[in-house]
Amino acid sequence: MKNFLSLLSLTALVGWSGLAASAVNVFACHPEWGALANEIGGDRVSVYVATTALQDPHKIQARPSLIARARVADLVFCTGAELEVGWMPVVIGQSGNEKIVVGKPGNLEAANYVPLKEVPTRLDRSLGDVHPLGNPHIQWGPQNIQLVADELARRLAYIDPAGKAYYQGRLASFTQRWTQATKRWEQEATALKGLAVIEHHKELTYLFDWLGMPVVGSLEPKPGVEPTSSHLSELVDQQKTNPAKLIVITTQKNPDAAEWLSAQIKVPEIALPQTVGGTPGAKDLFSMYDDAISRLLAAEKPKS
Amino acid sequence: MLKRNVRAGAIALALVLPAGAHAQTSEQLEEIRKQIQDLKDSYDTRIKALENQLKQTEEAAAKAQSSASQAQSAASEAKQSAESAAQGTGLKPPASPSAFNPALSLILMGGYYNSNQDPNTRTITGFLGPTQLGLPERGFDLGESEITISANVDHLFYGQATFSMEDGLINTEEAFFQTTSIGHGFTVKGGRFFSGIGYENSQHNHNWDFEDDALVQQAFLGPNFGIDGLQASWIAPLASVYVELGAEGGKPVEFPFDTSDHNTNGFQVGTLFAHLGGDIGVSNSYRFGVWGLNAKNQVTDAIYQPLGFTGFDNTLSGGNTKLWGLDFVYKWAPNGDPSYRNFKLVAEWMHRSQDGTLTYDPGATVGGPFVGPFTADQSGWFVQGVYQFHPYWRAGLRYDQLEEGSYSLGSGLGGAPGLAPPDFTPKRWTAMVDWSPSEFSRFRLQYNQDKSQQGITDNQWFLQYILSLGTHGAHKF
Repeated sequence: MKNFLSLLSLTALVGWSGLAASAVNVFACHPEWGALANEIGGDRVSVYVATTALQDPHKIQARPSLIARARVADLVFCTGAELEVGWMPVVIGQSGNEKIVVGKPGNLEAANYVPLKEVPTRLDRSLGDVHPLGNPHIQWGPQNIQLVADELARRLAYIDPAGKAYYQGRLASFTQRWTQATKRWEQEATALKGLAVIEHHKELTYLFDWLGMPVVGSLEPKPGVEPTSSHLSELVDQQKTNPAKLIVITTQKNPDAAEWLSAQIKVPEIALPQTVGGTPGAKDLFSMYDDAISRLLAAEKPKS
Repeated sequence: MLKRNVRAGAIALALVLPAGAHAQTSEQLEEIRKQIQDLKDSYDTRIKALENQLKQTEEAAAKAQSSASQAQSAASEAKQSAESAAQGTGLKPPASPSAFNPALSLILMGGYYNSNQDPNTRTITGFLGPTQLGLPERGFDLGESEITISANVDHLFYGQATFSMEDGLINTEEAFFQTTSIGHGFTVKGGRFFSGIGYENSQHNHNWDFEDDALVQQAFLGPNFGIDGLQASWIAPLASVYVELGAEGGKPVEFPFDTSDHNTNGFQVGTLFAHLGGDIGVSNSYRFGVWGLNAKNQVTDAIYQPLGFTGFDNTLSGGNTKLWGLDFVYKWAPNGDPSYRNFKLVAEWMHRSQDGTLTYDPGATVGGPFVGPFTADQSGWFVQGVYQFHPYWRAGLRYDQLEEGSYSLGSGLGGAPGLAPPDFTPKRWTAMVDWSPSEFSRFRLQYNQDKSQQGITDNQWFLQYILSLGTHGAHKF
């Protein structure tokens, strides 16, 4: 009996230490950061993604499963800029995990390493649910992804010093592939320059800015407010003076408003992935951009 | 010199030779003119070529200059990006003494209440219960206004306080510190806080799914049973499932254990609770809870008004009040996205056993006061569901029921009129619909068919508003 107990405790000890010595546990708030963590972290990270591309990141609740995952995380990797202000502070505060507190190395906010667009000059909720620090939907700017990748590699090397050379190697490989891909996308997307679009929410701003596509209107009358029939009528009127060629929403959104407007102003509407996993083609960061650009090009040049 | 000689020779020749010699000279002149023209043409061509070359070189130089300046501006942009990246986000915090201000939020609540029974006379039959049920005044009523202030204190602690103001009274609902850096799943909370027992107990009233709380919550714990003391909780490192264990100890803040004499050493209440939670697929989340509470009865005011009696006093002293309960929350949203539609189900069951010495005084005219040993075992439960069917609209339904259980009246209490509860099961049905045009405002219409007092049906109508300003609140589960 004594031998059995000591064998049991030995196995448990080995099992426990085996658990501890394996991968860096990464809690990624959104699928784009999960994908980036896999690119840079490779075999040395075990990634949990808290949300999916079909969920509105503003509306997530601090449910028990998130707290349980944050409890064992070595690195919490989120966007920041108050995108997750409704749920991450509770998740972190309830987790009993001191490594992931804001300001510690185990808490990485991507928006801190990226120049944010649309920083508001006036903060007032009458203007809608405005993001006070700027537009946080940064995953659609390829330069942003590179900047965050650079910091992620540094951060992983800090948390897991034994893997420093590994992370740097993966960063170098990623940087080379990402730079090449970015050039290719820019060439492919030259036909989209100047194509005016109407968006739903401001979640694709960085994509449209990068590709030189002016945004002439949004389905939301104000950020965070659902499309109203009076506002949609305004957009129909606006089409005469400032026409859009395309209505672009994401696959997370309800398409009713976009479909109605599309029928009224005879302009095609398409849905892009909000992030990795939003469409069958958006399997990782590279294919997410591929999928978005090919959908835009297909809509710009419809089959006759 | 040769030129001069040639010229001199030519002039001499021209002078010496007659007309025939003149014709010969014209030919030669033509020849010379042609040669000069050829020379001029060839020089022209060469100059043009040189000019072209110069132009091309100038253009190339200009191009080189412009790409150099482009590279320069790109470099300075990159430097700017790097700088702002190093500095953080675009909005720079103001460098002023108030830069460390805590998060501050204000909740405004109020509404209109209509009922056919006077809320001041309402009780729950058969329950030694609260001095006043949580019913508003009839007509227009400004409810509570609530301020919450929170911030990190330092590298070890976080602090938060909630004050509610109503009709000249400021009440400290919560004021606590919480550890942030113990690690290993441990958190310690100290000060005044809502107890972690049950599900509804720790919810502030502006977060409730109905205007009022469940009947069993009102009967046993008041709207939010709070403790002045310490709470320790631990989350197991299981990752795939949420397991939390917690314990609390201290002094109860208010009903049901409030006493006029708080001045005692040691703990007067202790609780234990455990939670199990997780996800099923992407669309479903749940949490189970089980909990227990043990409190010393010092001297407890317990107004129990059976029908026909008015204006008397009861107190329960000595002994213990023990509660235990089960709670369950389930949430559904399609693909886990609650934006357009979602559903929430809550159910709780609680059991209370009391013992002590009861002083029951219905007035000297009927033989009071009666004093004797007293025990009561009672329970209650509720089920509620709320369905959001539109980004702004939700509808909810709730059923409450209380079980009177059993009383045991010891010697001295026998014959006390109206003390033994009648055979009656308090019940209530609630239906509500609310409209929330944003996360920060909510308007609610609710109807209660309240049959918790024997012999009457209280039809209650509520119109309520809940508005929040300031810091974004937390989306608790």
